[in-house]
Amino acid sequence: MIWQIDLSILSLVVLCAFATIMVKDLLSAAIIFGAYSFLMCLLWTEMGAVDVAFTEASVGAGVSTILFIAAAYQTTRIVKARRRGRLASKIIGLGAAVIMGLVLLAAEANFPGFADPNSPASLHVSPYYITQTLADTAVPNMVTSVLADYRGFDTMFETAVIFTAGLAVIAILRRVKRSDLCELPEPYTISAGYEDTIIRFVSRQLVPFMQLFALYVVAHGHHSPGGGFQGGVILGASFILLAITYDMQFVQQRMSEKWNILLGNIGVLIYAGIGFLCLLLGANFLDYSILSKILPATDKIMARSHGMLGIEIGVAIAVMAIVITIYLNLSSHGKLDKGL
Amino acid sequence: MEYLVAEYNYWIYVLLMMIGLYAMLAKNNLVKKVIGMSIFQTAIIVFYVSIGAKEHATIPIIAHGQGHGAVEAAIDVAHYANPLPHVLMLTAIVVSVGTLGVALAICLGIHRRYNTLEEDEIQEQLQ
Repeated sequence: MIWQIDLSILSLVVLCAFATIMVKDLLSAAIIFGAYSFLMCLLWTEMGAVDVAFTEASVGAGVSTILFIAAAYQTTRIVKARRRGRLASKIIGLGAAVIMGLVLLAAEANFPGFADPNSPASLHVSPYYITQTLADTAVPNMVTSVLADYRGFDTMFETAVIFTAGLAVIAILRRVKRSDLCELPEPYTISAGYEDTIIRFVSRQLVPFMQLFALYVVAHGHHSPGGGFQGGVILGASFILLAITYDMQFVQQRMSEKWNILLGNIGVLIYAGIGFLCLLLGANFLDYSILSKILPATDKIMARSHGMLGIEIGVAIAVMAIVITIYLNLSSHGKLDKGL
Repeated sequence: MEYLVAEYNYWIYVLLMMIGLYAMLAKNNLVKKVIGMSIFQTAIIVFYVSIGAKEHATIPIIAHGQGHGAVEAAIDVAHYANPLPHVLMLTAIVVSVGTLGVALAICLGIHRRYNTLEEDEIQEQLQ
């Protein structure tokens, strides 16, 4: 890594963070936050964390931004100043932030230097992952092998967390009690180019390529940056693009709410099901090497590689369904009739 | 200067965390608070990825043709960045979009009931 590049990106990141909380318009704040995410993505590529950068580019810069815009569309983009107690809140906020900063800086004095190859985090289990991943699993991308094999339990429950988040969004927004409603004006139109033929044509041509790329990312995650999470988010983003350029009904015809929930379930079920299959065949939960008994022409090492592909597909299906669900519910206020 | 350059990533992550915490506490608008929460999350991710970085190391993917059979001993630990923090943070980013969705859904619910996203106006209506 080159510390000059690092430092310039980091100062831009801090600038964007300041701007995004200071700006008086929620739409601008969302766009600046997108820029912030892209800078973070550059920073992580520069530090060698390509998989993290890929995830941030698709999730942080792509989907998060569109979720913020959807929320601003359904509520209001105007940020009002606090009417009273402005000084007190600033003092409390600044005081808490400074105290926390000082505590962290005091702890930082004992940290190992940045990019030290002998820092404690790089000495415990990670040398095993680095040296044994090819011999154990035949997967050259260590991040994938740690994610899906060595630490498969973590990833399974992370997928379950995402699934739960999707359920929570549905539970909060989908059904409304009469008593919880106030008089709301119709959401204003952000852009007038809603029925633009050029935009519709271009995005319609773009969608198949996006989905093909997403499938490539899922299938090729063993050898290059990518995997189930990134591929799933890109698949979801292709449907979100259609929902923005056409309308919600267009996406609903292809991916109805029922299908979305069902696919979210199926994704988590594929993951847990492969784990149980290993259990049934007599090995530990998520120990894919036993799958060589039922997969044709596969030794124990390749079975682990194939098992990882299976769970990546499950993760991709679940993440895709949940991303679409969250977007559709947020941008239509849970009514699923019309959105951005 | 030496100290600054040696640990600049930790300085920046502390700074980002402070910005995030300030936004969560002091901002009046609920969506701004959610943005503060997201900045706080990315600060933690910066910290973890910084831990995983190694000097003169490449990305944690083994090039094809290396490490098979006879040359297996050639995999040098110091040559690859630490993959473990990357894995933890990769899933953390995806979970953060889930929590973001839930947080914004709650904001929408609040707006539906009180017709405002400002903290002080909601407080007035609650009293």
